[in-house]
Amino acid sequence: MATMRITVLFFSFAADRMNARERAYELEAPLTVGGFFDQSLAGPLGEPLAAWLFSVNQEWVSPDYLLQEGDEMAVVPPVSGG
Amino acid sequence: MDLYQITDQPIDTVEILQGQGEPGAGAQVLFLGTVRNEFEGRASRGLYYDVYPQMAEAQLRKIGEELKREFGVLQVALVHRIGDLPVGAVSVAVCVTGGHRDETFAAARAGIDRVKQTVPIWKKEHWDDGTSAWHDDAGSST
Repeated sequence: MATMRITVLFFSFAADRMNARERAYELEAPLTVGGFFDQSLAGPLGEPLAAWLFSVNQEWVSPDYLLQEGDEMAVVPPVSGG
Repeated sequence: MDLYQITDQPIDTVEILQGQGEPGAGAQVLFLGTVRNEFEGRASRGLYYDVYPQMAEAQLRKIGEELKREFGVLQVALVHRIGDLPVGAVSVAVCVTGGHRDETFAAARAGIDRVKQTVPIWKKEHWDDGTSAWHDDAGSST
């Protein structure tokens, strides 16, 4: 299995719960956004997958997106600008 | 001139208006969102806006291109301020220039709705009692 490194950004209350705005992860490929969430984020974030949106390399993605080496993923609470 | 910007400085509405206008334009609509002194009945002293900057500017640009394509308007400016904002401050500006008022009003209305729905910006309310909380955070108690 290949190892890949990704960067994950956290915003709003996701950043508060992770105590970080950015973290690096080393993961075993293949792994989807949803799989990564279940494995590493569901616990500390404290809410199920459906509560969050995800982007990779600044485009919105669904949880079945297959993560790639070097991806910049973001965990995004519901947006509330305006 | 189209303008898509995230800024931590006060929004200069005169500059936005002066940046638009062309011979084919017969209408210009400027919408400003401002920081209110309450949310759902609870007194507030202001807001903090968090942002995913690169993605937010890309989304503003995408919305502007949609508005021009769907409504046939000529120019769009979408500017959102971030950071700590006091009550009364302008947090967001949507400026649309078009040929006629109907499509120009419609595009400005769609513009602010889409900014609120799809641009990665989050607000934290600074309540008047000194506590603060992110919007839409069900688990928040601080």
